[in-house]
Amino acid sequence: MTSTSDASFQNDMVGGEHSSPPTVELIDITKRFGQIVACDRVSLTLRSGKIHGILGENGAGKSTLMKVLIGLVLPDAGQIRLHGKPVQITDPIDAATHGIAMVHQHFSLVEALTVWENVALGDVGRLDHRHVRERVAQISEHYGLHINPDDRISDLSAGMRQRVEIIKCLRRDPQVLVFDEPTSVLSPSESEFLFAALRRVVQEEGKAVALVSHKLPEILSVTDEVTIMRDGKVVRAGETAGTAASELARAMVGRDVVLRREHAAFGVMDINDKPTPSPVATTAAAPSPSPALRLVDLHITGRDGRALLSGLTLDVYPGEIVGVAGVEDNGQRTLGDVLSSLVALDSGKVEVAGIGVATGRAGAMAKAGIGVIPEDRHDSGCVLDFTVAENLFIADPDRVSRRGFMNVATMRQRAEVLIRQFSINCTGPNAPMWSLSGGNQQRVVMARELAHDPKVLVAAQPTHGLDVGAIEYMSEQLRNAAATGVGVLLISTELEEVLDLSDRIVVIYNGRIVGEMSKGHVDVERLGMLMTGAGESHE
Amino acid sequence: MSETPEPVENVTPEPGQRSKLASVSEVLTLYAICLFVALALAALLVEFASDKGSWSSVYTVILDGAVRKPGRWGLTLGIAAPILLVGLGTIVSGRAGLVNIGQEGQLVIGAGCATYVGVRIGGPGPLALALTLLCAVIGGALWAGIAGALRFWRNVPEVLTTLLMGTVAANLVGWGLRNRFLLLAPPEGRANRNQVSLPLRTDRRIPRVELFGNEFPLSIVLALVLAFVVWLVLGRTVVGFRLRMLGRNARTAQRSGVDQKRYGIGAMLVSGGFAGLAGGVMLAGGDFGDYQLVANFGAGIGFAGLLAALVARQRALLLIFIAFLFAGLRTGSGFLRATGVSARIADVVQGTLVLAMLLPPAILYLRARRRAIAATSSRT
Ligand SMILES: Nc1ncnc2c1ncn2[C@@H]1O[C@H](COP(=O)(O)OP(=O)(O)OP(=O)(O)O)[C@@H](O)[C@H]1O
Ligand SMILES: [Mg+2]
Repeated sequence: MTSTSDASFQNDMVGGEHSSPPTVELIDITKRFGQIVACDRVSLTLRSGKIHGILGENGAGKSTLMKVLIGLVLPDAGQIRLHGKPVQITDPIDAATHGIAMVHQHFSLVEALTVWENVALGDVGRLDHRHVRERVAQISEHYGLHINPDDRISDLSAGMRQRVEIIKCLRRDPQVLVFDEPTSVLSPSESEFLFAALRRVVQEEGKAVALVSHKLPEILSVTDEVTIMRDGKVVRAGETAGTAASELARAMVGRDVVLRREHAAFGVMDINDKPTPSPVATTAAAPSPSPALRLVDLHITGRDGRALLSGLTLDVYPGEIVGVAGVEDNGQRTLGDVLSSLVALDSGKVEVAGIGVATGRAGAMAKAGIGVIPEDRHDSGCVLDFTVAENLFIADPDRVSRRGFMNVATMRQRAEVLIRQFSINCTGPNAPMWSLSGGNQQRVVMARELAHDPKVLVAAQPTHGLDVGAIEYMSEQLRNAAATGVGVLLISTELEEVLDLSDRIVVIYNGRIVGEMSKGHVDVERLGMLMTGAGESHE
Repeated sequence: MSETPEPVENVTPEPGQRSKLASVSEVLTLYAICLFVALALAALLVEFASDKGSWSSVYTVILDGAVRKPGRWGLTLGIAAPILLVGLGTIVSGRAGLVNIGQEGQLVIGAGCATYVGVRIGGPGPLALALTLLCAVIGGALWAGIAGALRFWRNVPEVLTTLLMGTVAANLVGWGLRNRFLLLAPPEGRANRNQVSLPLRTDRRIPRVELFGNEFPLSIVLALVLAFVVWLVLGRTVVGFRLRMLGRNARTAQRSGVDQKRYGIGAMLVSGGFAGLAGGVMLAGGDFGDYQLVANFGAGIGFAGLLAALVARQRALLLIFIAFLFAGLRTGSGFLRATGVSARIADVVQGTLVLAMLLPPAILYLRARRRAIAATSSRT
């Protein structure tokens, strides 16, 4: 029975190339987690010299399938073939010996170590640091990653960390590369560069690549073949060429998707023709007596003596969305950390609704009414070992407790409401956070921060890992929050996102705000110049 | 290789759809087998490595020593109390993400403080006893608190400091035991050159109850109550919630209002306090020495408690059971000695038995994994 299905499978797309079997075949892979069927008889073929895109909603089973290939998840049923031969991949080391390497959806870096140390981590035998450093530099140059092997991870932004992960994956020159959302924190131009380089190498050296992504334009422009998953099943597989984005989106969600942000999501930017007149604009225009958030002359110097923030001043009024545009690593991360009480200021002050807030004191910002969706949810956004319900109340357990005792029943009930409201895909309030798919973890963070009625909402890369539908939902939520009088600070390296959502756009460069534009007067060219530090002015 | 894998949980193979009853009986069988093998090894040891004792009697002797012989289970309870207390403290610090491994030292300091105060203080017996135990708690807490403070103000790893301060504690109390103005008893009434303290007066000892010919101190009741309290606080209160948060993700905790210094040092203080209390109840309970401080007073109880907490995987209620088991192994193998087996062999026997308790979880994990692999290969 299996042999016939295999044969038909191989015939699918290859046509005449029967002589050499595909590099990787996953055949009828099934994986259950309790009642959830994460993968349901999923088949996937990766061919030498081709990039294969994998699309699907949050929780569709993409990461699980990739983990099967790398040996992190052992399937309940199914077969893996490499070059036509059945193999068993029981752990990542096993996978590495077969020449398979993966960039995971979430970081697995040791913050206290430097880049090259992280890359060398897990090596056996004598450590040749010069060699490792050279290799890191070499890959970095080859793929345009701009990584310094001696930087310490804790000093790097999410985007830079992502590149370190990519280097880790590329370093042993694997034949099969698995990328699980490698670009969700990279800016479009960066990912473009990365993929251009990748494409070249893939074709020259006959590598096979699997690429999981929620970015449709990326999938369309980079991949040769695409597989779409829904609820653990493959719903569509075939050549990418000639497919339209809307077609992919429809297959993914299983219904027609009307995307207000279609422009932005599809990478087509046209600011003269905004599809969504923001409902907030009117509220924002009304002069508000006092800003919801006031940042005055913030200064922070990093451990290495580099100025992380140098005189950042910014006001966010209730009811407006202020987008912070900027090239990565210009202080966005530090700004987020300050507003999460994670670092103290050297000088300057933070005020929420006119009242000063101590910086660096545990929970002070949250208490003052600042909600934060952090750029790296695993870093300061959630506790992976806690349940979903617990994660929904970590910032404010007093809401579900009486006289110091947690009221488990209330917590459960409220969690269930939020799970429904934000369509979080999980087995229930008691599901451990680590068992959720990346996008669903992001929804938990979003749900918590919005449910706590913040005065100010800081959203750093808020759509990180969300599927197309969820991005739309997130945007709506941010707009709604602003409409109810919350001051929203949107920090993103994705210009489209900023342009699409913000009432006012400020540009951050070198740790301070160097320019400002209101929604109606965006000059993309000037914006680009400001972002690269080419000109400074105030409007 | 793909360097660091994602959280281990993701790899944990699913037990599949097999019934819960089947897996429970499987686990029990596995424990039984491990215990049996350990006993067999112990028997071999006793037969060949020791000139006294015989292999056939090892099992009965251990069981006799732990529970069966008159008065033995009372003794086991008396020993379980401090093991349980130490383990509880270990759980508190462990849940906060701190690795306290200096319980033995904190315990000895606690016992030292209790002795110093207990033999001097006047007043009505129960009050004096309470104060004595309180001093034990404070002593242990401060000793661990130093490590906590160093960790949170100077970033010195607490693994190192707690361990090293354990050695310091042993020497400090040993030195105290050589000096009259501290702990050493006056020369009259003690055998010459014997370094012991004065015994606690009878009215400031922990009352012992007699039940079915077994006698044990009430400290076991105290320990059981505290086990329940720790379970409740960690699992059901906001403070426990925050403490666990700190242990699992310090940055998220910081953002959510958990002050690392306060909670971290607090957890260390509580952890040391429990170890100190264990030292106090050992002194005032009567199962360790004759209500007086002697050289090497800790007797490895601190380490036993640490190990018990690890075996119980940081769960307070499970720890109760494990603490009794460890105490039983101790009294049981101690009884071997009484039958003439050399002390060293008896210790090795005890170690083997403890190991037998540690193995099953590892075996279960590996087997579940193998099953999962087999499931894929059978389908070709
Ligand atoms: N270790 C696990 N234990 C239990 N359930 C799991 C586990 N890993 C994944 N799941 C569940 O399996 C389903 C598929 O998850 P997976 O991570 O593969 O989704 P995904 O397609 O990668 O989604 P995303 O786009 O959000 O990353 C989800 O419902 C998830 O909750
Ligand atoms: Mg995923």
